[in-house]
Amino acid sequence: MKQRALWSAVLVVGLATAGCGSASDTGPSSGGSTDKLVVWDWKSGEPSAKAYVDKAKADFAAKHPDVTVEFVAQPFDQYYTLLGAAIQSGKGPDVMLFNGGGQIRDRVDALVPLDEYVAEDKQRLAGWDAFNKDGKAYAAPVTLQGHPIYYNKALYEKAGLDPASPATTWDEFLADCAAIGKAGAKCFALGNKEGAGIQFWMSALGSGILTAQEYDDWIAGKRDWTSPNVKRIFELWKEAGDAGLNNDGANSTAMFNDSFALFQSAKAAHVIGLMSDVGHWKDFNEFLTPEKLGVMKAPVVTAGTTPSLAYDGGIGYAVAKWTKDPKVAADLVRSLTSTGALQAFYAEAGAIAADTTIDVSQAGPAAAAIVAALDSGKPALHVALSSKTLDLMGRVSQQLLSGSISVDEAVKQLAASDQAG
Amino acid sequence: MPIGNAEPSVRPVPAGRTDGAAAGSARRRRGARARPGRGGSRAERFAPYVLVAPAILIIVVLRLYPLLLGVNFSFTGDGERNGQAVGLDNYLELIEDPLFRTALSNVGLLVLLLPVAVAIPGLLATFIYLKVPGHRFYRSVYFFPAVLSPVIVGAIFNLLLAFDGPVNAVFEAVGISPVDWLGNPDVAMFVVVGVHVWATFGMALVVFLAGFATLDAALLDAARVDGASLPQVIRHVIIPGLSRTIAFVAVTTMVGMLTSMFGLLYVMTSGGPEGSTYLPEYYIWIQQGQMNRPALASAASTVLFVIMLVVGLLQVKLLRRAGGED
Repeated sequence: MKQRALWSAVLVVGLATAGCGSASDTGPSSGGSTDKLVVWDWKSGEPSAKAYVDKAKADFAAKHPDVTVEFVAQPFDQYYTLLGAAIQSGKGPDVMLFNGGGQIRDRVDALVPLDEYVAEDKQRLAGWDAFNKDGKAYAAPVTLQGHPIYYNKALYEKAGLDPASPATTWDEFLADCAAIGKAGAKCFALGNKEGAGIQFWMSALGSGILTAQEYDDWIAGKRDWTSPNVKRIFELWKEAGDAGLNNDGANSTAMFNDSFALFQSAKAAHVIGLMSDVGHWKDFNEFLTPEKLGVMKAPVVTAGTTPSLAYDGGIGYAVAKWTKDPKVAADLVRSLTSTGALQAFYAEAGAIAADTTIDVSQAGPAAAAIVAALDSGKPALHVALSSKTLDLMGRVSQQLLSGSISVDEAVKQLAASDQAG
Repeated sequence: MPIGNAEPSVRPVPAGRTDGAAAGSARRRRGARARPGRGGSRAERFAPYVLVAPAILIIVVLRLYPLLLGVNFSFTGDGERNGQAVGLDNYLELIEDPLFRTALSNVGLLVLLLPVAVAIPGLLATFIYLKVPGHRFYRSVYFFPAVLSPVIVGAIFNLLLAFDGPVNAVFEAVGISPVDWLGNPDVAMFVVVGVHVWATFGMALVVFLAGFATLDAALLDAARVDGASLPQVIRHVIIPGLSRTIAFVAVTTMVGMLTSMFGLLYVMTSGGPEGSTYLPEYYIWIQQGQMNRPALASAASTVLFVIMLVVGLLQVKLLRRAGGED
């Protein structure tokens, strides 16, 4: 009897307080001190980033000799989970690394707008858009991330194609793929196990499919999912899969790094890779040699389009709103994006740095082609989508490849998710 | 403080319901006698509470409070609605999310596959008990995968089951068309469960062997003398004799499948292909870590908690009944 009363009381109290409080903390928060700044990232632990961190630290120490800086390298798999926990508790690092796009936009509530502190860097650095929300910059770009189409010149030669002039239209491209297939290689190395393959596809080929107006509208948030060109992106994805252009078992091949390994071992002639971090020109140079690695523009699918390189700010440092003195923390961000530090990052870690004044002529023709395309480049299409829509797009893309969903149904689901969020 | 005086009140209540009242009244009488003029009486009354307080505090602060907090958060919103009470919105969203429904139906699949997961170690243990040739060797070999971490097991099977991997190479050599083990949504969940069973059945096997040690060998001999075949021996002697062990293995295997497949899922399929291998814990992790939806994740956790509670209570009941039969 007594126990029953106790449980009823617990239940009543529980119901009465249900829905109070919040799952992530919004209140004023403390944490961080002015004489010590804590930086979270997933880079500083790598040997290749050491020169970069050292340069940045030295630059910051010259401005603020009394402030110590501690870098905490978190495992990338867990990074946003750990960061989420820190944001909920309202305590955590003063400065933190973010991927551009959805990852930072979903978390700007916990960040300080940096515009007033980094005004001088706006011109020197490229890729700010990926860290903007509602017109405010929340992080300063360190590297640029984008999706060039790499190709293997040796396989082109083997297939009797001219490696100096890759296809410029989709029909030519399909003809080249047929020739490559006859030479015993696949056209695309595709890893879609994580569902990321479709994101790369959309962004690498999108500029040849969407008209300039549609492209700009898409980035600006006015996405017309009923447009036949938008649908064409997914049709091509399905057609390429059905025609056997991809390696077998794309849905169970991990992009990182099984699909890149297929390209590096010359089992496939093309791969939509990255510009920085992994799966990029520096990795491919090592296996295919710089002379045999090419970067091509997206083939024209819709007549009248001008293909461009899709890129955004890749990773950037942001300042947490709970830091004691945002000015000091922003100065650290400025040091982390100084020309000297970024030069070291580009050279050691193999990244296209956000600083456009860095000379990359030593890095081979592929890197030079990428940097040359930056001027006319545009933000990547998939970066404009929310992480929820991207997650759905990954699953839908797997269904398209396996044939368990139609393109119309896929676009319908994506439109619903995009317009809901 | 006279610690010694506190001793009688923490002595356990004598077993047996009927003496309870008598013992209680006896204690009351003693208490009444002790109270006047003895400063230690209050300490005496509080001593048991003080002694159990650390344990209670740990349970309340580290278990119950976070649990209630999580349930509470599940009634609040995410993002712009952070901190506002939203009633059952999160639960409604869960019901409408096909991914969460897949995760729940996969839990149902696990329950359906439970008999298989129990039968495999049971059968193998039977063979070892019946001393098939090489039983000593098999006993150690069967246990071996149980010492590997799920991440390692997952990585090994990722290599084996890759589309261009050795398993498909064998298939091709004998003329069977290759299977996309981890890329086909109709196959992937069974593959992951199969790998999980492979990796964990060693522990259940050991439990079964321990159960066999208690089995009366005379019964087996008697059955043999009566001319019972192997299936008959298993059906009429071994299964009834091991009912408690079987129930125990069923409970631990179910708990294992519901709570420790995350590592395998994470490494082998990342919830894919097409979201077909989602389990609630993976869903919770994605919502909290990747989608920045802590409140929705709290709601999913609450649902998972309720499921585990129901499954756990049913199993405790099952265990009790199996125990009662002995």
